[in-house]
Amino acid sequence: MRRGAIWQRSLLAVVIGLGIMAAPALAADEIVLGSAISQTGKYAREGKFYVDAYTITVDVINKAGGVKVAGKPHKLVLKLYDDQSDPNLSVRLFTRLVTSDKVNFLLGPYSSGITIPASAVSEKYEIPMVQGGGASGKIFDRGYKYIFGTLPKAEFYFQAAIEAAAKMTPRVQTAALLYSNEAFDRSVAEGARQWLKDQKIDKVYDEEYQPATQDFTSVLAVLKSKGPDLVLLAGHEENSLNFIRQAQSADMAPKMMVFTVGPPTADFRKTLGKAAEYVYGITPWLPDMDVGGEIFKSARDFARQFQERFGYEADYHVASGAADVLVYKFAIEKAGSLDPKKVRDALAAVDVETLYGRVKFEATGQIAMGQVVVQIQDGKLVPVYAFGKMLGKPLYPAPKWNMRK
Amino acid sequence: MLALQVLINGILLGGLYGLMALGMSLIWGVMNIVNIAHGALIMLGAYVTFWLFTLWGWDPFISLPATIALLFVYGYCIQRFLLNLVVRAQLFLTLLITFGVEVVMVNLARIVWSSDLRPVTPTYACANCALGGVTVPYVRLWVFVTTVILSVAFLLILEKTRLGRAIRATSEELRAARLTGIPVAHIYAVTFGLGAALAGAAGGLWGMLFPITPIMGGGLTLKSFVVAVLGGLGTMMGSIVGGLVLGLAESFTATYLGPTYPNAISFGLLVLILIFRPTGLLGRRA
Amino acid sequence: MGLVALLLLAGAPAVLSPFLVQFLINLFMLAALAESWNIIGGFTGYASFGNVAFFGVGAYTTGVLLTVAELPFALALPAGGLLAMVFAALIGMPILRLKGHYFAIATLGVAETTREIVYNLKITGGGTGLSMPITRSPLPFFYLMLGILLAATLVNWWLSASRFGYGLIAIREDEDAAAAMGINSALYKTMAFALSGAFAGLVGGVFAYWITFIDPEGVFKVIITIQMIIMAVFGGMGTIVGPLLGALVLASVSEVLSTQLVSLAELFNGLIVILVVLFMPKGLVEVIRKREFSLRKLARNLREYRV
Repeated sequence: MRRGAIWQRSLLAVVIGLGIMAAPALAADEIVLGSAISQTGKYAREGKFYVDAYTITVDVINKAGGVKVAGKPHKLVLKLYDDQSDPNLSVRLFTRLVTSDKVNFLLGPYSSGITIPASAVSEKYEIPMVQGGGASGKIFDRGYKYIFGTLPKAEFYFQAAIEAAAKMTPRVQTAALLYSNEAFDRSVAEGARQWLKDQKIDKVYDEEYQPATQDFTSVLAVLKSKGPDLVLLAGHEENSLNFIRQAQSADMAPKMMVFTVGPPTADFRKTLGKAAEYVYGITPWLPDMDVGGEIFKSARDFARQFQERFGYEADYHVASGAADVLVYKFAIEKAGSLDPKKVRDALAAVDVETLYGRVKFEATGQIAMGQVVVQIQDGKLVPVYAFGKMLGKPLYPAPKWNMRK
Repeated sequence: MLALQVLINGILLGGLYGLMALGMSLIWGVMNIVNIAHGALIMLGAYVTFWLFTLWGWDPFISLPATIALLFVYGYCIQRFLLNLVVRAQLFLTLLITFGVEVVMVNLARIVWSSDLRPVTPTYACANCALGGVTVPYVRLWVFVTTVILSVAFLLILEKTRLGRAIRATSEELRAARLTGIPVAHIYAVTFGLGAALAGAAGGLWGMLFPITPIMGGGLTLKSFVVAVLGGLGTMMGSIVGGLVLGLAESFTATYLGPTYPNAISFGLLVLILIFRPTGLLGRRA
Repeated sequence: MGLVALLLLAGAPAVLSPFLVQFLINLFMLAALAESWNIIGGFTGYASFGNVAFFGVGAYTTGVLLTVAELPFALALPAGGLLAMVFAALIGMPILRLKGHYFAIATLGVAETTREIVYNLKITGGGTGLSMPITRSPLPFFYLMLGILLAATLVNWWLSASRFGYGLIAIREDEDAAAAMGINSALYKTMAFALSGAFAGLVGGVFAYWITFIDPEGVFKVIITIQMIIMAVFGGMGTIVGPLLGALVLASVSEVLSTQLVSLAELFNGLIVILVVLFMPKGLVEVIRKREFSLRKLARNLREYRV
């Protein structure tokens, strides 16, 4: 065979193969929710929360009769890809979900860094995306109409904690701010600077670090020499874990340590064991909050079902993911159609009580929700401050490491 | 005192960097193979230590010899049955194949062990002692001591034993080594096994300081490059020196410039050294 | 024959599904990168492991000009390619004096350092990345990538038949002899490196606008350089169509794998790299030309390269 002929034939075979592969079979009476979520890579742990949350919610909704579109019951189906924690792959996969798999609607990925580019795809193709994994205001300040988010704005994450710090006795005077070089954490830091100013707390340290940083010993050495009362860390779970461990090794125990990610997650507390005591975290949701709605009667009911099915405690990531699927049910039934534009409008107008709390999107598409400051006491999460009030009794100030039991 | 603390931190971690790079420097110096899978070997050593600790409760310092032995066998097989097949190919092909090995190893680890972070936490994990205004975590100190012991042991093997002489002979003059009856294929495999064993030991020690995950190796491979080149390829002492230099550089830049700079500094150092003094700080002038 | 394929491709977007159009854009991108690497790696024999640096510089230059300076794409793209070319030339001058492994590691170091620098600059958005304005249609990208691929392939073809190209090959085969014959090897090498960087930069610029979002992790990944290299090697380094062929086969296989066996895709990519180096280091073009399809012939490589 001539070389050229081989080449032409292989090209043809490849194209045909891909063409066959690319044509999906869409069954009637199904609503397909598509997403590319991090099942491997640096966000794999958090990504799993969303995969499980989407799965359980879809199953429970289907068991309860599915979604009624103009009276006709439809089954919800999930189509999930793995974005390997890579924003570029995420964009390609979302493009495929829309153009090739022709899913009806989109669910979001995890992390602001990935949601920012992924939402450009949903905007481009005018298909709604509801996400519960990205909190940075930057996702929502581009004037996009098709992106909705169930995590409250990143810039507000530390507000409650800083307010609480100002109300402690003895009052917090100085603070250190440490944040990862990523969209979400930068947004959190931006907000934090404002709240610190409002509460007249002196900022003695304000530095950014590479997300992949494992070694905080230098940072801790500087912090030890400056001795802030309050340490605020915006990063992801691995960063929080390493920081706390190394703080113990370096014998650095500020009066109050707050982390954006980590404390509400059971696995985090288990991994750290005793070292996690006295640490503060932030969450918009707790399993024993007094909220509930259709499908899942209460937060507690949801937490129980989730624990039974997946064997681990649900945290706010999970609840947020579940809310994303739920809100589609309400919006589709309200719109009475599967037309993306109509559903989009219904989403913008939705106002419903759910296991996650009240879901109502602001004009930008992001939910407005208060955060609860929690503290790890005896391995358990204890709410200490929310909505301007001290709840429970915070164990403050945190004792030096060698004085802890 | 801050500067002293920063200095101590840099030395303690730098020692571990040196141990990491020792294995890479050996393999590069003897067989002219740049092992991109080096980080994956470190990762493997870390996981072996982790499983021995988690499943059977073996203290990570005690299980080190087991880790070393396992990694040695593993490295021996890799060289003997895979890399020996391409040793005389163009240099960059060997580079490419070790890259393939790295991808395979990392992905197998990810599939079998999942991406979950695994910490190795013996009870003394975070204990520390304060010496004159400086806090020294016990684990870091012992890791440093172990590093020194292993490095010295390794250097002695290389200088004083028959095996060591055979390795050095093979690296300096291949044909002559063959003529004197040295089984080159076997020696190469032993060399790689030693390099892997060192990497594995470094991994086990690393796992005591930081949580481990399948993808931990990539950054460590690059750091090992920097250290090996800095110190001077093929000179074992060079790796130690290079490791200390890198550890100190990272510690000081993170403290006085900011935490986002250490990586830029290390790679910048790499490029500068390669441009101005490729043989490294201790290397012989080519 | 080539013309027929070209006409087919030009008309393709009209008939193929949007998904296939996306796939082809990605394919053209990889093939163009492989062809660009071929200039310095295949023809000149200097295996650079850091060409992603030029891809990233092109991507960020175009990105910053598009977003911060709000220049039109028609200006931002050539600027990206130009800056990448200049960068390659400047960095090439000291680095090309190194040989073998040292050169490879140095280029790797350059790529990593560039990424770190981009991470730390304010204008690039640091770790947050840059978001481009949205474009509705993929067509301009399809034709742009195809165009760059054609240009890169044509340059390779020109190299195979020109004095400059022969000079590069001479440098690859025996640099000292080439210098003795009067070839200014430093100049030639730097020009080859700059050309290679220019194309990588152009590809990067188009990529940035196409994917609408870039961040340091994404455009300075080592795996991109490895993909360039393995495609060129698999197809046949130093040949004209080798990188093209390599890209075609490997990108297709990778695409199929990534949909069917998502978690195993990368594993297979690694195995492919190992197998290619063991059995087909001279490339597919060579295998086809010599009709060496039997395992025995493929195993001959092993005998040649083993200890």
